[in-house]
Amino acid sequence: MSAKKNISRRQFLKYAGLAAGAAASAGVASKFEGSPLSATTVRAKGFPTVLGQSFQGVTVRVHAISGANYDELYKIIPEWEEKTGAKVEFVFKGDGFSTDKRLVQDFAAGTVDYDVCWDHSSFFSQYVKAGGLEPLDAYFSADDLKDFIPRLVDAARRDGSLWVIPRHFDISCLHYRTDLLGDKKPPETWDEFKQMSIELTDAKTGVYGTEFAGKEEALSGRFYEVLVAEGGALFDDKWEPVFNSPAGVKAATMFADLYKANAMPPDMTNYVWEDVARNFANGTIGMYTEWYGWYSFFQDPKTSKVAGKFDLARAPMGDGKIHSGWAGHHGFSITKASKNKEAAASLIKYLTSPEGNELEAKLGFLVARQSVWDKIIKEAETATNPLDKKRLELALLQAQEDFKTPPLIAEWLPMSNVLYPIVQKIILGDVEPKAGLDDAVKQVHDLMDKAGYYKAA
Amino acid sequence: MTPSTVAKRWARSTPLEISTGEARRLPFLMLLPAIVAIAAVVVFPMVYSLYLSFTDYDLTRPAYQFIGLQNYIDLFSNGDFWQAFGRTILFMTLAVNLEFVIGLLIAQLMAKAIVGRGLLRTVLMMPMMFAPILVGFQFKWFFNAQLGLVNNLLFSLTGDAHIIPWLVQVPLGFIAILVAEIWMSTPFMVIILEAGILSLPTEPFEAAEVDGASGWQKFRHLTFPMIGPFIYTAMAIRSLDLARVYDVVSIMTAGGPGTRTELIWTYVYRLAFTGHNYSMGSSMSYVTVILSFLFTLYLFRNVIKSRWEGRE
Repeated sequence: MSAKKNISRRQFLKYAGLAAGAAASAGVASKFEGSPLSATTVRAKGFPTVLGQSFQGVTVRVHAISGANYDELYKIIPEWEEKTGAKVEFVFKGDGFSTDKRLVQDFAAGTVDYDVCWDHSSFFSQYVKAGGLEPLDAYFSADDLKDFIPRLVDAARRDGSLWVIPRHFDISCLHYRTDLLGDKKPPETWDEFKQMSIELTDAKTGVYGTEFAGKEEALSGRFYEVLVAEGGALFDDKWEPVFNSPAGVKAATMFADLYKANAMPPDMTNYVWEDVARNFANGTIGMYTEWYGWYSFFQDPKTSKVAGKFDLARAPMGDGKIHSGWAGHHGFSITKASKNKEAAASLIKYLTSPEGNELEAKLGFLVARQSVWDKIIKEAETATNPLDKKRLELALLQAQEDFKTPPLIAEWLPMSNVLYPIVQKIILGDVEPKAGLDDAVKQVHDLMDKAGYYKAA
Repeated sequence: MTPSTVAKRWARSTPLEISTGEARRLPFLMLLPAIVAIAAVVVFPMVYSLYLSFTDYDLTRPAYQFIGLQNYIDLFSNGDFWQAFGRTILFMTLAVNLEFVIGLLIAQLMAKAIVGRGLLRTVLMMPMMFAPILVGFQFKWFFNAQLGLVNNLLFSLTGDAHIIPWLVQVPLGFIAILVAEIWMSTPFMVIILEAGILSLPTEPFEAAEVDGASGWQKFRHLTFPMIGPFIYTAMAIRSLDLARVYDVVSIMTAGGPGTRTELIWTYVYRLAFTGHNYSMGSSMSYVTVILSFLFTLYLFRNVIKSRWEGRE
C-alpha cells in the first residue's frame, strides 16, 4: 500500500504562485502581439508613428497649462497611451501664471513628482537656474527638430542646451480699424503710430486712438519691444541695465505723451490682456498691438463689434530699423526629477507632432512646425475672408524675422516687477521719463548684483 | 450584582484624589495636542521665516547665505516700504473710524427697532457673507471707468459723459478701496455695538428720563461710556484685520498704478511671491507684525482700562 503524500501549505502556495504568474505572462503576451516590443511599428490611422520602446506600466505625470483651448490637445493622449502602454496622469492644471508659481515653488522645495511640465520662453530660465529641468539634447535629435521654426527653438536654448520643445507661439501685430483709418495706410514706425493715435482719438464718439496692457509683465514687455525697435536694449553684454538710454527715454516718452493727450483710456494702467482685447472688440480703440490668438474673438459678430472692420499689419519699427516683436512660446519640458525621461520625451514628441500641431492650428493657435504652416496657408487660400490667409502669412513672417523674447534669464520677472510700476508712474506723469528710468536702472542693477552677475570671475 | 449592591458601592466611592503636582500639570497636558498643532503650523514657519530674513534667500537661487541685518538695514532705508506703511496706517485709521461711526449709528437704530429686528439684522449682515476676493471683483467692476456702475449712474444723473478713472487717480483709487472695505466690514461693527447697547441696564436710562435728560445727553453720558469695552474690542479686532488687508486691494488695483494704492501686504506679495525675494519679504513681514503687535497691546490695555472705568 503506497503512502498518501500530502503537499505542505508552503508548497501549495509556491505552485499556485507560479501558475498565476504563468497565466499573467501569457495574457500580457497575447495582448501585445505585434506590439513595438516585437519590433513592429503600429500606425493608427491619422496619427503619428511611435517607434521603439513600449512604456508598459509607466505612468507619466504631467504638470500642465489649462483653460481656453489648451485642453483640446490633451484629447489625443489616449492614443499615445494605447500605443505605448503607458498612462498619463495630470497632477496639476492651471493658467500660465499659477502654473509658473507652482513650478517655481516645487523646484525650490525639491517636491517635483512629475515628469513633463508646461514651459514658456519667458519662464524657463528661472527653472533652469533652480536646477529643475533636464536638458533635452539627448532626447531630441537634429532630425526631430528640423521641422520646427528655428527662431522658436533658438529661444529655448541657453547655456548650450535645449530646454523646451515649442508647442505654439504668439507674437503681436498691429490691429487697426479700417473704418476709422479709411484710405490711410497703417503706421510703419512708432513715430507715425503715435501721431495717428492722437489723430484717431475722438471724445465725442468715445474712441481712443490706442491702448496698451498697462501693468505687470504685460507693460514691461510692451516697453521692451518699443525700446528694442528704437535701437535700445535692456542690458549690455556685461548685464548692466542700459534701458535709460535715449532709445529708452524715447520709448517711455511715447507712452506718457499718448496718455497725456488722452489718446489712451484713462484707466489703462489697470489693464491686462482680456481688458485690452475687450476694449478693441467693443469698438472703443482705433489701433493697437495685440496677440494673434484673439483673432477669432474679434471676427465673431456675437462677441465683437469690429468683426469685418479691422485689418492686420506688421508691428511698427523704430529708429533702430527693427520691427517690434515681443513674442513667446509655450512648450513642454522634462523635469530633472523625472524617473521616466524616455517616456516623457515620447509623450512630448507625440503632443508636438505635426498632427498635434494641426489640431491646434485649426483652433487658431500659431503652431511651431513649419510644415504645418505650409499646409494651413495653402488651405486658407480658399477661405472666404482674405484676412484669414493674410493673418497666417504675416504671423509666419514675424515668427521668422521679428520673434524676440525678453532676456533669457531667471531675473526677467523680478526685473519686470521693478520696471512696470515705474513705467506706470512715467505714463501717469508722476515722474519724468529720464528720472524714472534712471531709478529703475539703479534698482535693476542692485537686483542683478544680488543675483551674482557682477562678481569678479 | 443587585441594585442595592451597586448603590452601596456608589455611596462608598470617593472623589478622585490627585496630588498638587498632577493638578498643576493636568491643564498643560490637556492643552498639549493643541500646542503641538499650533507649534507645527504657526511657530515653526514663523521661526523659519525669521531665519530667512537674515539671509539672501531667493526662490530661484538654490544656494543662499547668512547676511545678518542687511535686509533690515535696506528695509529701513526703503522709501517705498515706508510709503506703503504710512498708507496702510492711514487706510486703517480712516476705515476703522468710519466703520465705527456708521456702525454705531446703525446699531443705535437697530436697538430701537421693535418689529423685524431679526430680519433687519440678517439683511445688514449680508455683506459679511461675501468672500473678500468677491467683494474686490464686485467693486472693481462698480468703479470700472468705462463699464462701471458708478460712472454710468453719474452719467444718468448728470448727463456728463466724462469718464472718471476711479481706480487710477489719486486719491480716488484709495477712496474706492476704502468704500469696498467699509461696505464689507461695517456689519461686524454693528453686531458688536448692538450687542453692547442691548446689554446695558435700563435703570440709569429710566433715571435720566425722570431727570429730563435729552436723547443726546443720554447717549453722551450713559450709552457711549458704558459700551466703551465693546467699542475698544470691535476697534481692536478691526484694526488687526485692516493692518493685514490684502484681498480687496489686490483685486481692485494690485497696489497700483505705480504705487498709488500700495499697502504693506501688496508690497510684500509683489516682492516675495512675484519677485521671489523671500528674505526681504520675511524681514518686511516681521517689521509689520511687530508694529501690529505693539499697536494691539496698546488697544487691549485701553480695553481693560475702559472696563475698570465702566465698573466705577
